[in-house]
Amino acid sequence: MINKKIFGPLTGETTKVILECISDGVFTIDYNWEITSFNRAAEEITGIDRKEAIGKHCWEVFRSNMCEADCALKKTMEQGRPFISTSAYIINSEKKRIPITASTSLLIDKNGEVIGGVETFRDHSLVEELRKELSPKVRMEDMVSTSDAMKAIFNILPQIADSDSSVLIEGETGTGKELMARAIHNMSPRKDQPFIAINCGALPDTLLESELFGYKKGAFTHASKDKPGHFSLADKGTIFLDEIGETSPAFQVRLLRVLQEREFTPLGGIEKEKIDTRIIAATNQTLSELVEKNKFRQDLFYRINVIRLTLPPLRQRMEDIPFLVESFINKMNIRQGKFIQGIDKKVLHAFMSHQFPGNIRELENIMEHAFVLCSEGYINLEHLPPSLFPNPISCPDDIEDPVKAAQIKLISDALVRNGYNRNAAAKELGIHKSTFFRRIKKLGIKL
Amino acid sequence: MKIAITIWGNRISPVFDSAKTLLITEIKNGMIQKKTYQSFDPHAVHDLLKTLKEQNISTLICGAISTHPAELIVENDIKLISFVMGNTLEFLENFTDKNQIKKSFIMPGCRHHKNFIQPTHNRINTTSGI
Repeated sequence: MINKKIFGPLTGETTKVILECISDGVFTIDYNWEITSFNRAAEEITGIDRKEAIGKHCWEVFRSNMCEADCALKKTMEQGRPFISTSAYIINSEKKRIPITASTSLLIDKNGEVIGGVETFRDHSLVEELRKELSPKVRMEDMVSTSDAMKAIFNILPQIADSDSSVLIEGETGTGKELMARAIHNMSPRKDQPFIAINCGALPDTLLESELFGYKKGAFTHASKDKPGHFSLADKGTIFLDEIGETSPAFQVRLLRVLQEREFTPLGGIEKEKIDTRIIAATNQTLSELVEKNKFRQDLFYRINVIRLTLPPLRQRMEDIPFLVESFINKMNIRQGKFIQGIDKKVLHAFMSHQFPGNIRELENIMEHAFVLCSEGYINLEHLPPSLFPNPISCPDDIEDPVKAAQIKLISDALVRNGYNRNAAAKELGIHKSTFFRRIKKLGIKL
Repeated sequence: MKIAITIWGNRISPVFDSAKTLLITEIKNGMIQKKTYQSFDPHAVHDLLKTLKEQNISTLICGAISTHPAELIVENDIKLISFVMGNTLEFLENFTDKNQIKKSFIMPGCRHHKNFIQPTHNRINTTSGI
């Protein structure tokens, strides 16, 4: 309450001064929806000079997403009551969306007559920016994470990128190994040179060799002209050898020689070609275990295992899901020309309960599925693929034996953790799959 | 020439990003020959672009528009005339007659900007001083 004894009655001039001093934008309109006053903050937020604004229709100046269908001022004028802190955005002359909150009320003169409406609005751009800055997530190139394991990797990534050493990236399928390799390349001194990726597991030996080392005309029946290999294409750049653990022993010998001698001979060629290429290899297996089982050459392992990065599966960094979702939404909005605003809380809950055996790639596919079904607003449960909600495990109701109950829980949890893959669940529990199936049947678990 | 305008009643819709109706006009010899109305979803810009392409519409006229949809529209070879306002028919008559945009049709705060017209190819003449 203003103490009139101290301040005296507020004159029109005083009100004007106050309106000019406050940081909230304020404008008034008459019954023709034409602007009658426009304060300094309104000029600053909208970027429109009051001389241009006054006399114009409010929607031509304010340019808010509310104007056409959900005008707060219109509701105030119709219902005779104020609306407080409505969230919206306006579009300024630079095509920038400015997040605001707006409040509206009737404009009443000293005789109590309604002479129009008044709208006050607050710029929330800074709040939004600060909110983003304060967010604990860390972004590195195209990767985003808030998990300690990923942050530890991000912290050493600049040094790794600066060096020219070979890197081995281990991680389950879909954990972002190629993205990590690209990030290393993009941050390295070789960033302006090519980044060439090849999936070694997808090709038979002979084809893989011709793809990697190239061939000369006449090297085989259909070799009608010289073809440079991936090592030549990646000259002075980076080559990414994905699924290196899937390669045959014979190919491993050939690759080892190339890496040791830093030169190779294309198929059918005579002259050796020097290589100046950084090697980044990746595998979804644990290469040291393959070495122990004699499935991967130890000498090649030591050659490529100079720096090893292990990407954690998504189920071990569930805290990243909200950031990954936000990142996918931004990317897919641009790619598909949509304005999906986010995901419903129930969707986030469903994501947090899911084990994501396919890791980030699975999450991306789920988001893409949701984008097809959701045209605007928020993604709801109905937009998610049914595979995200497998049939719940049903167990007998009358379990009195605590040992039996514990066994049921153990098996159910293992199934959930392994995305209802029975073989994987059996492996995790350390029992043979036939024993696992027998126990499921014996305990009366229905899948 | 076919032109699409986002409309709100008899006016150009003030904000493309929340507009709902599209007026498609066919112009021959500087005269409006045909008008059709259809609803559209500004959040699905690709669907809008598909509609524009299917109907051979070369120009989109609208009010304020944010960067993201504006870029998508221009990238797809649609001439974008944005940040314009006023009565739709009056705007069209003036535009088709003189191939110009009068200052009074340009939104406040945009009169010194030249980027409210983003042609992909042939630049439209504008009145001097805009």
